[in-house]
Amino acid sequence: MTSSPGISAAALALLIAPAFGHHSFSAEYDANKPVNVQGVVAKLAWVNPHAYIYVDAKDASGKITRYAFETSSPNALLRRGWKRDSLKEGDQVTVDGYLAKDSRPLTDGSLHGNARLVTLATGKTVFAGSSADDGGPAK
Amino acid sequence: MSHRRFLSPLAAAIVAMLSLAPVRTEAQSAEKGNAQGKTLGGPGGVIAVNGVRDENLPTPPIGPTPHAADGKPNLFGVWLSGNYNFANMGGALPLQPWAQKVMEDRQATQGRDDPEAKCLPGGVPRITPYPFKIVQSPEVIVMLFEGNVHSFRQFLLDRGHDKELDPSWMGESIASWQGDTLVVDTVNFNDKTWLNGRGAPHTEKLHVIERYSRPDLGHLDVEITMEDPGAFTKPHTFKRTHVLSTTWEIHEYVCNEFNVDVDRLVGK
Repeated sequence: MTSSPGISAAALALLIAPAFGHHSFSAEYDANKPVNVQGVVAKLAWVNPHAYIYVDAKDASGKITRYAFETSSPNALLRRGWKRDSLKEGDQVTVDGYLAKDSRPLTDGSLHGNARLVTLATGKTVFAGSSADDGGPAK
Repeated sequence: MSHRRFLSPLAAAIVAMLSLAPVRTEAQSAEKGNAQGKTLGGPGGVIAVNGVRDENLPTPPIGPTPHAADGKPNLFGVWLSGNYNFANMGGALPLQPWAQKVMEDRQATQGRDDPEAKCLPGGVPRITPYPFKIVQSPEVIVMLFEGNVHSFRQFLLDRGHDKELDPSWMGESIASWQGDTLVVDTVNFNDKTWLNGRGAPHTEKLHVIERYSRPDLGHLDVEITMEDPGAFTKPHTFKRTHVLSTTWEIHEYVCNEFNVDVDRLVGK
């Protein structure tokens, strides 16, 4: 077993199993469009069929882009240790995920993606992939 | 690829304990051998699905088969589908050429038209990662599904099929006990559901016979036979094993609450 770079060996990695998606990963998301987004949590939408993490990322010029990352269902997250307030507005996070094939923003203007791994400022990582049967990447 | 590689030693130890789960398993071994996704052997023969595995499934309890007041095995409990490749049904289905073509077309479009993605019922005998509950009485046995959408199946005991019913998503089921095995006979399906996540189709002629048995406290075995003279060349039989959870409940899951996926499933 090896540790992933950037994650302390002492950090408790809380893995959120990727079960409970209701659609195929590749029908909606593009495995060739990986993203690594560092920013602050704008909100955690505790909704079905997938909870969403909204992250505001600032580029070098100061422009803020809001991403909406799909995760598992709230029930699936809950069974694996998440709560509706596990992520709070303003929390620093890094999200490794994939962008949607359909590049249209959601109705609120946010870019649409699928989160596989969320790393908190503490170094704690949470796996947030949306489905055990979705055919998507494992992270 | 397992996300186990992201684990710290401490977390790995915890996960190792948690993932001792579904160990038993003739059916799982069969599934493992036939898995179409990447298969990784793991503790207890836990199976990876397309490189993804559920590390934190509860470990099923050990004990004898419980019985109801009428002496029948009691199937009551919250059941999980374990770490299956959910699309797997014991090898290739004996599909007629037109049905094979439909399945291949659905795969070519990455499953974008899957009714499940539209928050419609999954049908029978498709399973999902969502838990379900069985509630049993001498007259009727009910399966309550958390997802894909909230739905139910009721097995009316010792009576015939209702010939007047319209085709439906979950079909119409009757059941009888044959010794310690509950035999469920289901007909009256519509043709809108997919038999599995790979897009295998069926017709309204689908007939499903399930044989449920509970060999011990923690496991629910099901032998499933599908007949469909409209889509299959011959009947197809396979087995599954569900595991009991003593720590999970089924919860509300309103799939259509925020299903932004519906018009964004572009496929290729």
